[in-house]
Amino acid sequence: MKTNQKKAWLFLAPTIIFVTLFSIYPILRAFGMSFQSGSLIDLTWTGFNNYKYIFSDPDFWLALKNTLLYAVISVPVGLAISIMLAWIIFDKVKHQSLFETTFFMPYVTSTIAIGIVFRYIFNGDYGMLNFLLRNLHMPAPDWIDDPAMSLTTIIIFGIWSSLAFNIVILMGALRNIDPNYYTIADMYGASGKDKFWRITMPQLVPTIAFLLTMNIIGAFKIYTSVYALFNGQAGVGNSGTTAVFYIYNKFQTVGTPGVAMAATVVLFLIILFATFLQRKMMKKIGEN
Amino acid sequence: MDNNKFVEVKNLRKVYDNGHEAIKNVSFAVKKGDLVCLLGPSGCGKTTILNILAGLLNPTSGEILFDGKSVVDVEPKDRHIGYVFQNYALYPHMTVLQNVMFPLVVGKNKKPKADAERIAQKYMELTQITELADQKPENLSGGQQQRVAIARALVQEPKILLMDEPLSNLDARLRLKIREEIRALVKSVGITTLFVTHDQEEALSIGDKIILFNDGVIQQDDLGQNFYLEPNNYFVANFVGNPVIDNFKVTKIENKLKANDFTIDIADLDQSRFKRTLADGDYLLSVRPENIFPALDGLLQATVDDVELIGRERVLKFTNDETQARSLVNLEMPIKHGDQVKLKMRLDRVFLFTPDGERVY
Ligand SMILES: Nc1ncnc2c1ncn2[C@@H]1O[C@H](COP(=O)(O)OP(=O)(O)O)[C@@H](O)[C@H]1O
Ligand SMILES: [Mg+2]
Repeated sequence: MKTNQKKAWLFLAPTIIFVTLFSIYPILRAFGMSFQSGSLIDLTWTGFNNYKYIFSDPDFWLALKNTLLYAVISVPVGLAISIMLAWIIFDKVKHQSLFETTFFMPYVTSTIAIGIVFRYIFNGDYGMLNFLLRNLHMPAPDWIDDPAMSLTTIIIFGIWSSLAFNIVILMGALRNIDPNYYTIADMYGASGKDKFWRITMPQLVPTIAFLLTMNIIGAFKIYTSVYALFNGQAGVGNSGTTAVFYIYNKFQTVGTPGVAMAATVVLFLIILFATFLQRKMMKKIGEN
Repeated sequence: MDNNKFVEVKNLRKVYDNGHEAIKNVSFAVKKGDLVCLLGPSGCGKTTILNILAGLLNPTSGEILFDGKSVVDVEPKDRHIGYVFQNYALYPHMTVLQNVMFPLVVGKNKKPKADAERIAQKYMELTQITELADQKPENLSGGQQQRVAIARALVQEPKILLMDEPLSNLDARLRLKIREEIRALVKSVGITTLFVTHDQEEALSIGDKIILFNDGVIQQDDLGQNFYLEPNNYFVANFVGNPVIDNFKVTKIENKLKANDFTIDIADLDQSRFKRTLADGDYLLSVRPENIFPALDGLLQATVDDVELIGRERVLKFTNDETQARSLVNLEMPIKHGDQVKLKMRLDRVFLFTPDGERVY
């Protein structure tokens, strides 16, 4: 028993060293830096000044608001669409692997590349989306260049790009459901709706919980897609700025790492809280 | 309407997509209210037959009639069948009550929740699981899960109940108890039941009638005792009976049956039991262990290799012509390991089979 334990530590050592070096140390370092001011090579203690600064900075509040709205809308909507699509593929489609590969493509393609493609699709004048909307006699807004549309565009793009990963994971979960459950339900004359709500959904709860966590964390860290959609900007007039954009901007462009780290700590706490809340919620649902 | 043919299967054949012929020309009938056992070794096609009856599989050819009407083209849900799967397949995320209610609250004929609950309660009482209503299946023992599965299969008040090896996941003692309960239950409900098992003892104890399968073919369709007393063929004789039957290789030469170290005069056999006159050649002589016993005028000599106690009786094991054989004797008989005994057979109770299994005596 004792020697086994020693061996276990030995085997774990590389991982522990890596995690400490590349995960725990940076977190502690960021926390420390959030109480310092000055440039990276000349940091001095400044107490809560960085926090005071960000909380009185309207840009920070806009970034937080955008990030929160993005997370609250894109995650549930994206997940709901993913579940629907996964179920349709699983239930109705013959050549599932082909579809799955197609759906998985965006996941293995660079967000920057997809973002650039979407810039064309979203283009107000000659974009495919507006071409479609005009043909359907619907309003065709200026997705990219209208500041009021920035967040909407980001959300649509976010939902679209979350589908790939979600669907692949959900398909795996669907395949793991004992087919006998459906066979029996068929024997009792259950309708497709009955089967979906009474068997599929309850069986998917753990997977959905996992995806929710992953998606929420991902949503709070949104950066690349904004960067790609707006050609390196956070939308026209910073209208689409997000928390990570704010952090990056303060760190790299403005050159105030302390402020950036204060924002990082706040974002970290928000993610922690959101994940915790969501876990609690899923547990409640799982019990019923 | 013929109550003797409440369920009728005619020339049923099933070839799976991979070309495997699981069922070859099977025909049988089940009387209304009977509990019939489908018996056979693993892989002989029992589950396939149940799935075809339930409509979960399409037969390759053949006819299935319930109450005189063909159901081959009827949807599973409209066949009025209750099915207890081998692994029960209870819904793990539902409580016992929700599981039992499930068939009543889905589909076109769904009932109001209160009605469904009342009916579910009735069957839960019948299967004695009322106090488990709020438990999840994972917290139940095998026997309890099984009752839930039976209650769920019964709530729609089907006309036919199919059970696929319902006792195979239970321990030996529980199996004895539950099989009696199942019999009592289906008899009190009066439902026609097909009960699949690979355990001959279970089939003998529970079935009004037994249909024994092997290799996708019916070997015998008969009352329990006849499998024992009048087996159709070599397979049946060897499949049914515990301890298993003894088989001796014999050769018919003139009016004698010659084995390696004993000879039987054909005139000593019961002439009325011959199915046909015997040609000269090789045969298998089979005798149930209780019909071969130590006697002073015994016709074969053997050394007792082992003695096994089974309740009221002892099994003497001996080797003859390189095959193990058994003799079932009274507990009091003073015979022990290593003893030399002379064994005698009741010749009016032995069977003779051709090398390919056909019974000739
Ligand atoms: N879907 C299938 N495809 C091909 N062969 C199958 C399939 N299902 C069962 N079999 C084969 O058919 C035979 C009968 O199977 P089954 O009815 O399950 O036997 P039992 O229930 O008597 O053990 C077995 O040899 C099995 O391997
Ligand atoms: Mg089976």
